[in-house]
Amino acid sequence: MRHFRLQISDCRLPAPLCLLALGFCLLTSPLSALPLYRDSLSNGLVILTYEDHRLPTAVVSLVCRSGAACDPRDKAGTAAMMADLLTRGTATMSGDSVKSIVEFLGAGFSGSATDDNCGIDIRTLTKDLGTALDLMADAVLHPTFAQREMEIARSRMMSDARGIFDDPGSEVTVEFGKLLYGDHPYGRLGSGDTTSIPLIRREDIVAFHSTYFRPNNCYVVAVGDIKRKDFVAELEKRLGAWTPTPVPAFTETPLTMPDRIRVKLITRKDMNQTYVEFGHPGIRATDADMITTRLMSYILGGSAMSSRLGISVREEAGLAYDVRCWYDRNRLEGAFHATVQTAKPKEAIALMLRDIKLMCDSGATKKELEKAHNYYTGSFPLTYASTRGKLGQVQTMELYGYGMDWLDKFPDRIRAVTLEAVNKAAREHISPGRYWMVILGPVTKEDLGLTDVEWIE
Amino acid sequence: MKHTAYGTRYSAFGLALLAFLAVFTSAPASDLESRVFEYDLKNGLHIIVYVDSSAPVVSTSAWYKVGSYDEPLGHTGLSHMLEHLTFKHTDIYKPGDFDRIVDSAGGNNNGFTSTYFTAYYEDFAKDRYEMAMKIEAARMGKCVFPDSEFESEHQVVSEERRLHDNYPAGELWEQFGATAQLVNPERNPTIGWSDDVRNFTVKAVRDWYTRHYNPANAVLVVSGDVRPEDVKAKAEEHFGKLKGTPVERRSYYDVEPKQNGERRITIRKRVRVPNLLIGYHVPGVRDSAWYAGEVAGGIIGGGETSRLYKKLVTELGLATGVWGGAGVSRDPSLFQVGVTPKAESLIPRIEQVVQSELDRAATELATERELQQVRNQVLAGQAFGRDNLFGMAYRLASNYILFGTWRQVTDYPEHINRVTAEQVRDYCRTYLTPENRTTGILVSAKESK
Repeated sequence: MRHFRLQISDCRLPAPLCLLALGFCLLTSPLSALPLYRDSLSNGLVILTYEDHRLPTAVVSLVCRSGAACDPRDKAGTAAMMADLLTRGTATMSGDSVKSIVEFLGAGFSGSATDDNCGIDIRTLTKDLGTALDLMADAVLHPTFAQREMEIARSRMMSDARGIFDDPGSEVTVEFGKLLYGDHPYGRLGSGDTTSIPLIRREDIVAFHSTYFRPNNCYVVAVGDIKRKDFVAELEKRLGAWTPTPVPAFTETPLTMPDRIRVKLITRKDMNQTYVEFGHPGIRATDADMITTRLMSYILGGSAMSSRLGISVREEAGLAYDVRCWYDRNRLEGAFHATVQTAKPKEAIALMLRDIKLMCDSGATKKELEKAHNYYTGSFPLTYASTRGKLGQVQTMELYGYGMDWLDKFPDRIRAVTLEAVNKAAREHISPGRYWMVILGPVTKEDLGLTDVEWIE
Repeated sequence: MKHTAYGTRYSAFGLALLAFLAVFTSAPASDLESRVFEYDLKNGLHIIVYVDSSAPVVSTSAWYKVGSYDEPLGHTGLSHMLEHLTFKHTDIYKPGDFDRIVDSAGGNNNGFTSTYFTAYYEDFAKDRYEMAMKIEAARMGKCVFPDSEFESEHQVVSEERRLHDNYPAGELWEQFGATAQLVNPERNPTIGWSDDVRNFTVKAVRDWYTRHYNPANAVLVVSGDVRPEDVKAKAEEHFGKLKGTPVERRSYYDVEPKQNGERRITIRKRVRVPNLLIGYHVPGVRDSAWYAGEVAGGIIGGGETSRLYKKLVTELGLATGVWGGAGVSRDPSLFQVGVTPKAESLIPRIEQVVQSELDRAATELATERELQQVRNQVLAGQAFGRDNLFGMAYRLASNYILFGTWRQVTDYPEHINRVTAEQVRDYCRTYLTPENRTTGILVSAKESK
């Protein structure tokens, strides 16, 4: 990434890693010790408010508990398009008018979707909060999904979908997802692909909204310079008439654990570096040993410098700028991922396979676990740093049903993780030699020296 | 925000975003004077303290006035290579110690290099921030560079360079910049040109460190739940004994030859999404006209209500994204427009529309609503920009280094408020002309002949 004038293009630690680490850290905040409240409107809509009066600002997020995993089978991108269009026009206000108000105020109003949820966010100065809530409520209750706005959104999504293949890092991740998830709902790109996006019709958008965007399937998180009681009352005025409707149950498709290493090789002779991603089915965000497993993966590959993979692949061998591994945190079974970008894939892959197997076979050390404990419990105060951080904490806590005491007890739960538990998690959640693997770069099968693998043509 | 950062894979995404915010937003002026404190140690180390006790957290950062701007030909990327190596080895720390210490204490740390500065930071709980002082003092004066450690890290940086090589839009950025600017070192990528990166030597790194890393060429920023007098005392304890040697920074302010006609480049790669960049030479931040450029950028290319977005995306449907605005540079710089065309075939038409809109801005006055929207966005940005301690450190330090005072953070809205519609028009008329234009296009190699 490069900004020509004020270039900040090069930092030592891969930023995605920092963000990943921070995202996990955000879960450590003891919210019960903070001004966090959970209320509900007369229609059952849950409202979580976090009062933070440091600045004259507020962020409000309306989250729907259904996301891209609920897209129609051949219409990936429906939830994402629906969420985007919510901010682009209502029965009484055109999309241009909405944007005009938002940008004139210096506010932000956007919609987005992940596999597990979708929704809209608004960021505003406190003095404009009333206007912001008017816009948000109107968007939820009276969206028009105008054809003109839909075509603009479709063009933008198509451009983004094509652009994935202009970035090898994105491409290899998409290909890995296809292998691992297959027909599973997570196998569809939440942002849509070039086949699915043209198929999405207005009635699909309307259907998704009317089916899933119900008060009994949504919640609101507000952080900032707000007063809980006033805020809830204001929302009652605006969203109290929103009617609940039963939401269809979600049917899960089981994932397939490969019986060996199954490799898809995409040879690109015009590149000078190879991108590798491999892994297998992982765990759910709600699994009992999620914390233990994440501590284990932190030790194994949580840092490009100081984890086991970082030390062996980057620091000692100098084979890569970024190498890491992690477990998805999703409602359904996610994936265990390991990635690297390197000019010497044969050597890097060999080291990674070795280190991952070693973790499974021999586990972590007491010293490593102590460091992991310190990292997660010590970084706890950092979670107070930003409004966005607080918003993310509360959104995740509510989405996965961790409960109001979850964040409060998180540091204690971290400290309670024993070496035996970590090593058990390694044995149970790592399956050495059973990976889906995608390799993208200027290499052939012969260059890679992989034995006992099955090549996917 | 004037620029749309594209690509999410590369290391700098978050920091680049921060960079934009750092300059285009500023903190509410009302209470900054009572929260920001400045000191100078005898050795020349400048210290800025920002007090925010809303959370028991402190962000400590060290900023060196050296970056790609200072690198001689053949040595581009040297500041960045040095940045990597300063995490390795000092008199008291061995390789891996920095990260082990920070991780074990539950902190975050990183370093980054830009055109005008190199910076390092550690975020800790407030009872541990002195650890950051100790680390940064060692980095400032006691780094050592054994040959063996250089070789390994040289390979890591080479891999980082390759990440850029395999990102076609990045190639467009690099070559567009080097086409628009012929002499000013801003034309060079921060990570360095590939051949220069390949040929780094440990001796060059040692020399670069000796020349640029000392208290008199650095700024220490401590942001968070601290008492200013404690910071001063701790800074004196850890940094006071280091020797300061002022470094004269060479200026390239007026080296760029006048452009007397459009320059164009076309890059053909295996891409599915074309890209168009258009740039015009404009004044840098040391020229008062820069503020008119800020306002012009907001009106022309800031957000979905900007003139270019409305015309290209909403009205004509030629593009899926557009942004525009002036850069933040000490020297004369570029006003840039970036467009994501719907198709390659539309690029000529898009170019016509862009220039037509700029011509309109050069003849018609901006409306009061347009001007007020930019002012409102600046004020809102002030408040949002206070939400992150390192973000505040970034604002204070970058403004100090680029503008000579952290108070630019509070002065910026006033400057913007004073910009008139006539000044915006005159700015566009003077600078945003076809003969002052550089155009860069990224298109598919497969479809192009």
